[in-house]
Amino acid sequence: MKSLEIRNLQKTYFDPYAGTKVTAVQDVSLDIREGEFVSVVGPSGCGKTTILNMVAGFLPATGGEIRVGGRPVKGPGADRGVVFQSFALFPWKTVLDNVGFGPKMRGVPKAERDRIAREYLALAGLSHAADRYPNELSGGMQQRVGVVRALANDPDVLLMDEPFASVDAQTRMTLQEELTRIWQEKQHTVLFITHDVGEAVFLADRVVVLSKGRVMRDIPVTLPRPRVWDEVTEDEDFKRLSAEVLHMVRAA
Amino acid sequence: MATAELGAARLGPSRAMRRVVGAVTFLLPLLCLFLLWPVVTTAFDVNPRVFPGVGMVWAALVESVRDGSLFAHIGASLGRVLVGTALGILVAVPLGIAMGVSSGISTFLTPLFRFFSVLAGIAWIPIATLWFGYGFGAITFVIFNAVFFIVTYNTLLGVSAIPMRLRHAAASLGAGRRAMLTEVLLPGALPNIVTGIRTGLGFAWRGLIAAEMIATNVGLGYMLFVARDFYRTEVIVLGMIVIGALWLLIDRLLLAPLERATIERWGLVTRS
Amino acid sequence: MNPALQAWGYYARWTARWPGVAALVPFIPVVAIWWLVASLEVFPRAFFPGPAEVVRGFVDLTYKGILPAYLEDSVGRLLLGAGFGMAIGIPLGILVGLSQTAYRATWPIILFFQAIGDIAWLPILLIWFGFGLTTMTFVIVYTVVFPVVFNTVLGVRSVPRDLPRAALSLGAPRWRVLTEVILPGALPNIVTGLRNGLGYGWRALIAAEIIVGTSGIGFLMFDARRAGSATEIVLGMIVLGLLWYAVDAWILAPIERATGQRWGLVTRT
Repeated sequence: MKSLEIRNLQKTYFDPYAGTKVTAVQDVSLDIREGEFVSVVGPSGCGKTTILNMVAGFLPATGGEIRVGGRPVKGPGADRGVVFQSFALFPWKTVLDNVGFGPKMRGVPKAERDRIAREYLALAGLSHAADRYPNELSGGMQQRVGVVRALANDPDVLLMDEPFASVDAQTRMTLQEELTRIWQEKQHTVLFITHDVGEAVFLADRVVVLSKGRVMRDIPVTLPRPRVWDEVTEDEDFKRLSAEVLHMVRAA
Repeated sequence: MATAELGAARLGPSRAMRRVVGAVTFLLPLLCLFLLWPVVTTAFDVNPRVFPGVGMVWAALVESVRDGSLFAHIGASLGRVLVGTALGILVAVPLGIAMGVSSGISTFLTPLFRFFSVLAGIAWIPIATLWFGYGFGAITFVIFNAVFFIVTYNTLLGVSAIPMRLRHAAASLGAGRRAMLTEVLLPGALPNIVTGIRTGLGFAWRGLIAAEMIATNVGLGYMLFVARDFYRTEVIVLGMIVIGALWLLIDRLLLAPLERATIERWGLVTRS
Repeated sequence: MNPALQAWGYYARWTARWPGVAALVPFIPVVAIWWLVASLEVFPRAFFPGPAEVVRGFVDLTYKGILPAYLEDSVGRLLLGAGFGMAIGIPLGILVGLSQTAYRATWPIILFFQAIGDIAWLPILLIWFGFGLTTMTFVIVYTVVFPVVFNTVLGVRSVPRDLPRAALSLGAPRWRVLTEVILPGALPNIVTGLRNGLGYGWRALIAAEIIVGTSGIGFLMFDARRAGSATEIVLGMIVLGLLWYAVDAWILAPIERATGQRWGLVTRT
């Protein structure tokens, strides 16, 4: 595991149709310690996905710096695993081959990477689906594969971009509980983007509220782990924190 | 495991039966048509110069098989299609991928390739015969370019239609340039490439027949066209049946299964 | 600001306002390269004419009235063929799409005749009808019919089963269900079929004109081939390409968009 440092990050881009510059991220600084789980919440258009895309290396930053374990980020790389909102599974690969893709890129031999993939699939209760194609799975199962695929590559930092936004409410709760369970086991450094306040508080050690391309507040979450929805929903701290964050997001 | 095998074994014969029944119901209308043919030709006493009887076509088949001319024509035609198509695909796919990777380049070039894929095939026959003379070169060139432009255009479209997030996903899992090509761009564009090959080959096949009527002295198109000079309708009809059967074989046994195995299983496209 | 970026910005805005510009600009470098290769005489002039010669040929043939007359012939034949093709293909497609019995009885036959292909019919058509309009129209109708039938069947089958049920339960008689539900539901696919069919028909027309050879753009090209005049061949190819491009991009594609995409029905590749 490694730490993630974001310093004075800025993103402006050129809109060819308007012929002007647009600012998506104004000035964001954010530190995530090794093994820390941080949620970033904010209304749509606040620049949270743009930040993740820059950390992932999909978009170049126009200002500031991003460091993973002290090393500056240049382009996408296997040290930062990404879980996409739209899953981004390769439709032409079976579940097993999707999960084994990262190890394959590292040159891990076929037998070994299948073993790794099966181990991680078992972790998410997906062993039975190994030989199916993504198209043949439900949305919830697809996103389990998406999470497991990123984990199986053993990244230093895990970046999650509203990963549970496109699955139904019941499945979402199950996935959130699974994620906290797996996270406790593996202790990854996680940057989790969401617009769902309850989700942000439930999962994270810290919740960062973003507004108009700036960090508005940074709130520690001290709920005990392991966290299970049945208990957390009743928790007074959870209710107070959620209300506080929700208030800020709506004011943002 | 054991139950699954048992289930498969139990399903086996009934599935085979269903296949047989399917084949029979498929062939039945064709058989009816075939039986109707001699009835009509004898009942209306059709002049063999207008339309041949079954016996005559059969005799033409036997004769052309015996003297080997039928296989010579088929061989010449298939050889040209094979060479032209293989060359076309080999050049078109890398080119299409290279151009499709950048969205700027691909939107810029799309109208160009659309224009040329509209022209592809038959319209090149006159200039091809001017450049290469009458014969193998000109015909293969016509097939090549029917396949080339359409496959390039489709590859270009296919690559540019791959969602950016898949390229991002591969990059963040550590894929380099080479892996990006073989693991993402090529399989992602494959449905379009296969569709392109199917369309291109359809045009190429027509181009072949047309070109053979004009520009050669062997091949199925030539066989038809020469027979016309002598009013040998039985050879013409035989040639038409051979052409139809060959194309059905190529399309149904080679192209359609390829499309099903990739595209439909991956759930990428809902095609007819 | 980066001047290249600025230029790209202008280009993007212009093409957004006039999509025609985006369709034409890419041809400028192609014509330039063509002109360069021709004027350097990389290939013999007789085999590889330059743009200037082709333009001169265009003016010359237009002035003589040959080009407009041939163009009229070709387009007329195509329209006639397309009209008959639709008149046969759409009803047949609806029948086959709706009735399982009709499907079983005719589908293999349709597949077989489609496989023979239009151009293979030319020799026997020449025996039956001689060198003339009937032969050419037959070939084009033959080409247009199959894609129209295939796509109409697909379209009819893709109409959700609840739509005709809804119409029936709202009191529509059966034939009204056909005109109010089935036909509009299948329309996007029918247009796609027509578009594909014309793409094949166009090529069949050229082949027919080359082989039957009385008039038309295909004849113009092949006649020039016999005389060894590359200029007129290239001119013919450009006219064919431009004409089809215009028909496809400005007539067929917009119709397809207006029906299918507007209704969110499209299942196109």
